[in-house]
Amino acid sequence: MHIDYWQEIKHDSFGRAGLVLISLIVVLAILAPLLTSYQPHEYTGSAFSPPSGQHLLGTNDVGQDIWTQLLFGARTSLIVGCGAAVLALLISVLVGCTAALFGGVYDRLIMRLVDAMIVIPPVIVVILVAAYLRPNMLLMILLLAAFLWPGGARVIRAQTLSLKERMHVSAARTFGAGWPHLLVHHIIPDLGPVLAATLIADARRAIFMEAGLSFLGISDPSVISWGKMMQHALRFSYLDVWKWWLLPPGFALSLLISTLAFLGFSLEKALNPRLRKGVGHAGH
Amino acid sequence: MKKAGSAVSYLIAFVIILMINFLLPRAMPGDPLMAIYGEEALIAMTPELQAELTQRFSLDKPLGAQFVSYIKALLHGDMGYSYYYNAPVFDVIAASLPWTLLLVGLAVLISNLLGIILGIESGYRRGKTTDKVLLTGLISLSGFPDFFIGILLLLFFGVALGIVPLAGALTPYAGKTGLALIIDVLHHLALPLIALVIVRVTGAYLLTRNTMVTTLGEGFILTAKAKGCREREIRYRHAGRNSLLPVVTAAGLQLASSVTGALFIEIIFSYPGVGSLLYNSLLTRDYPLMQGILLVTTVVILVANYLLDLLYTRLDPRVAYSH
Repeated sequence: MHIDYWQEIKHDSFGRAGLVLISLIVVLAILAPLLTSYQPHEYTGSAFSPPSGQHLLGTNDVGQDIWTQLLFGARTSLIVGCGAAVLALLISVLVGCTAALFGGVYDRLIMRLVDAMIVIPPVIVVILVAAYLRPNMLLMILLLAAFLWPGGARVIRAQTLSLKERMHVSAARTFGAGWPHLLVHHIIPDLGPVLAATLIADARRAIFMEAGLSFLGISDPSVISWGKMMQHALRFSYLDVWKWWLLPPGFALSLLISTLAFLGFSLEKALNPRLRKGVGHAGH
Repeated sequence: MKKAGSAVSYLIAFVIILMINFLLPRAMPGDPLMAIYGEEALIAMTPELQAELTQRFSLDKPLGAQFVSYIKALLHGDMGYSYYYNAPVFDVIAASLPWTLLLVGLAVLISNLLGIILGIESGYRRGKTTDKVLLTGLISLSGFPDFFIGILLLLFFGVALGIVPLAGALTPYAGKTGLALIIDVLHHLALPLIALVIVRVTGAYLLTRNTMVTTLGEGFILTAKAKGCREREIRYRHAGRNSLLPVVTAAGLQLASSVTGALFIEIIFSYPGVGSLLYNSLLTRDYPLMQGILLVTTVVILVANYLLDLLYTRLDPRVAYSH
């Protein structure tokens, strides 16, 4: 357990690339109002104007500045991604850890539910619910988290099962520690890297699903989102505008998800010693 | 034990899906009939028809009775009536399901085969240039949402080069038969299929590569080398074969995402499958059709997953014992 994961990731080329890119995207999203002189919903000039000094990526069919929308779209993706991932992780930890610590009927019932939830295709159910509710950002986060948590819960339960047999946990228990204390002081600190991996995987799926739902046109129409920009731009694919309207949000979205994939891969390598060590074998 | 256990899981999942399908429209504020059928359809209905539908869904009765009549209708294959297509939902879906199954089936098959081969080759050359290029390239590609890959392919091959058709699954009214028909279908299928394969291939590839790296460190590989087996044989028959099992397991988990991916890609290419149908139902707010599609898709995924579970137990007897 005593591997410095942070060092591992920093020294891995995938990890480094991931860290640099994700910082870049977060900074761009936070500084969005400083990097543009327009408001995302504002009418800024003639429609369909090509990229120029005034409009870095031109304007769309109602004269909104596309560069501005791209920057503010990053906020939506990051907020929904982080929000849903953090919420899903909290549920996963609570469910996974208590199932492992309590055991018995409670554990069996919970894991039965997790098994069932895992085989439900999340995107399809989320589409159905979103079509009725047309969710705003908060509702979207709740909705995504509701279908993201089971995978993490299973992994965390398995980890906790092995952790709870450790000496220091048994020692704490003999001193009369209750389960909340065990959880916060003895289990969760050791779960660190697994939690990070779950968080990244959940964020990736949440960002992808948010983009997909907006692309289908079933999210809050007032929220600016890369998926919605693409849906909108696709209708004008017979014009030349796709070069600066359709491609930028697409590539931005892909870059964000790839970045998370890089981080996830690097973390997995750090977690699995057999992938990390230089294993001498045929062909080397 | 394992078989019974997983069957129960699927059953619970199915019940959860049914409950969502049943409760959601009824939990919406306002007239449940409006939530079930959508505003536009309701305005077009005569009061008599509204009364008949209320009766049919038992909407004037308590929730329990409503659920019973809902299940009864489903058992008869009655998933409601699509106002946009003016036909029973079941018939509308049945007409487009084969195209989606064709697309998803081929995509799953090709992406897994390709992923396994690339994974074996890449894992065997771990740390070499080929491995690094494949690894970086495929992980980057996996970040591309399916619909964006579809858009890129459509813009490049369809709009810019013009070598593939932009929409549909067949050339309409061409009256082609035999070989010409098959070629025509493949011609229309090519781009959506490639788009889906590009996105899916990374899962199988990464899994095979990781297992390959682990397996190559095992003793029996050294034995094989010491016996003087040829490299190709070690790569595929010794190490490769042992890397297959996790891929089969993952194929089941991937199935759901393949189907949803296909739904999105069909929309881009106007492929006449369930995905395009879903998009239309969302645009026209054809709620009965939308519900029907989501129910059918989920059931197809659940059944396929269950069958894969059974297949997996056959492939690896250890699974049956370990549970």
